Amino acid sequence: MRTSGYSALAAGLFGSLLVSGTAFAAGGMPQLDYHSFAPQLVWLAIAFVVLYLVMSRLAVPAISDTLDKRQAKIQGDLDAAEKANEDTRALVAAYEKRLADAREESRRLQRTQAETDSALASARFTELGEKLNGRIAEAEKRIAGQRDTVMAGLEQMAGEIAQSAYAKLAGQPADEGALGAKVAAAAKETGR
Amino acid sequence: MHSPMEQFEIKRLLHFNLGGLDVSFTNSSLWMIVAVILATGVFVVGMRQRALVPGRLQSVAELGYEFIAGMVRDNVGDQGKKYFPFILTLFIFILFCNVLGMVPFSFTPTSHIVVTFAMALFVFVGVTLIGLARHGLHFFSLFVPKGVPWVLLLLLVPIEIISYFIRPFSLSIRLFANMLAGHTMLKVFGGFVVMMGILGGWAPLAFIVVFTGLELLIAFLQAYVFAILTCLYLNDAIHLHH
Repeated sequence: MRTSGYSALAAGLFGSLLVSGTAFAAGGMPQLDYHSFAPQLVWLAIAFVVLYLVMSRLAVPAISDTLDKRQAKIQGDLDAAEKANEDTRALVAAYEKRLADAREESRRLQRTQAETDSALASARFTELGEKLNGRIAEAEKRIAGQRDTVMAGLEQMAGEIAQSAYAKLAGQPADEGALGAKVAAAAKETGR
Repeated sequence: MHSPMEQFEIKRLLHFNLGGLDVSFTNSSLWMIVAVILATGVFVVGMRQRALVPGRLQSVAELGYEFIAGMVRDNVGDQGKKYFPFILTLFIFILFCNVLGMVPFSFTPTSHIVVTFAMALFVFVGVTLIGLARHGLHFFSLFVPKGVPWVLLLLLVPIEIISYFIRPFSLSIRLFANMLAGHTMLKVFGGFVVMMGILGGWAPLAFIVVFTGLELLIAFLQAYVFAILTCLYLNDAIHLHH
């Protein structure tokens, strides 16, 4: 329906132009001179066929070939870029993995080092403690020996004092054995 | 003063006669040949380098190619590929004839009904033959709109047939009348410039300047319309859609 509308419009325009055309030109429209039809049609055919051959044989293959080549080139470049992008991503991933591995390794090393260190330290600590304990025990033994000596001296001294005191009090020398036993018992009683 | 119709006169430049048939080389023939040579220049010489990054002329050639290729693809589909060189030739030929007609003292071959009608008739007959070859008698279902009550068909089928057979006329008259009217108008206003002299002639001159721009647009638009209608007719013949 659209085409018929157009054609009605065109026909109307054509008609009015025919009228105005004939009004302008005394000899009528050159378009209606049928003597000119044959040369126009012949040359139209020649020109059109030549242009068609030029287009279909030369221009269209050349252009479509060029467009295809360009498309292929662009696609190739895009693919290469995509590949490079993927390679880079793979590299980055590998780098990050190695970085993470290295971090993990360093953490592990740190941990084992700390463990060895603390084991070593505690071993040395124990060793030192034992040494110190040995010296303490030795010192205590020495002190005990000295105290025993001192105590023995004290007993003897106390016996002598008791003997002299008994001699002074009783006027006769005491039985040395009995007095010694008594002094020892008294010393034991007072508890050092 | 010259008549505005004088510019459309066919002048025989070289007289030829082939067995009683007048095949003289006329001003119309000359400008057709100029159009063919220029189109060849753009599309063949311009594409000589086949550069991946096109220069100016090659860009023009590719632009024209892609413009028509897109038109055929959108309007006809893949089956239209076979007819693409023909539609490209049709478009380029009409475009160059129309635009060259805007050159002063040139001639516009497409301002003659016999030229446009020959092209339109060729398209019409060709499209009809393609339709018949593809679909046989089923081709005539093109005249029967789908989903319409049969009473209406009595009315619609004749309308469809008329609108189908009017196609070569509408196609050719549209192009011819546009060229004729535009060039006549320019000539008439050119006459006004002379008539109104140095004082009053500026107004029609300004109009001519503006109208020349419009005419260039119409020169392109009519070539485009001719090509796209050819695509639509072709699509009808190939797909029988309505």
